[in-house]
Amino acid sequence: MGLPDRLTCEEAFERLDDYLDRELTADQMRLVHEHLEICAVCASEYRFESGIIAGVREKLRRVAVPEGLRARISALLKDQAN
Amino acid sequence: MLEDRSVIDSAATLSAPGAAGVPQAPFEALLELVLDGAFAVALRYTRNRTDAEDLVQEAALLACRGFHTFTPGSNFRAWFHRILTNCFYSKYRKERRQGAELDLEETSELYLYEETAALGLHSQTRDPAAQVMDKLTGELIEEAIGSLSDDYRVVATLYFLEEFSYQEIAEVVGVPVGTVRSRLHRARHMLQKALWVIAKDRGIVSEMIGITDQGE
Repeated sequence: MGLPDRLTCEEAFERLDDYLDRELTADQMRLVHEHLEICAVCASEYRFESGIIAGVREKLRRVAVPEGLRARISALLKDQAN
Repeated sequence: MLEDRSVIDSAATLSAPGAAGVPQAPFEALLELVLDGAFAVALRYTRNRTDAEDLVQEAALLACRGFHTFTPGSNFRAWFHRILTNCFYSKYRKERRQGAELDLEETSELYLYEETAALGLHSQTRDPAAQVMDKLTGELIEEAIGSLSDDYRVVATLYFLEEFSYQEIAEVVGVPVGTVRSRLHRARHMLQKALWVIAKDRGIVSEMIGITDQGE
């Protein structure tokens, strides 16, 4: 079965999560993109979801490994090698 | 030092043992590239600093012993996270959720979008997602992720923190890509509900609605 020429809102919505993660084929990405360009409601949903994902990623703390742990691992690996 | 993942992946791939024309990198040098990320992931898996340290240490030892099974030229970061994740599931997993007991089972898609639209936020601002995120602290987001059950928390952590693709998460967790897709989508919806419920409890939702976009 070939690809449709354009997507309905329902079809675009079904693909929204995969589209957000760029996990669709190039053709499917293009179809969703084209739909978002002509549908204000779906585009607004997409922008919102995308903003939440980016916001969560930005606010999650980047934690550096504690120096004590780094030293312990290094010592254990040296023991392994001997 | 915290580095960009693509830099880590290319460094780990280029210096993988046996890669054409490149001398074999010692295990410890590859481990160093992924250690900060692994600890951050372990903290979210275990939700406990002591367990996270033990988990990373154990995974590092297992990885060192099994380094001969690492495929030259493949993704060391994903390989190491697979060991870390296996180790978590076999030894550190605790069935009970932590933090607030939230009912996340009945969660609709677009949960936050619908809740914020119902409260009129979308007519107040051009960027409702930014308005929401502006009010949600890192601590609240950590709590929301911590409220997810193990399987959902694991894929959400790998997705949000390490920014792995579905295929990479499938390899790390050892489940089919289709399972990752459905688990991750559901985890995101549940996370949105958890964020909203916790924000409501803290009185943050009313703050969101009371503030309008100054740029309008």
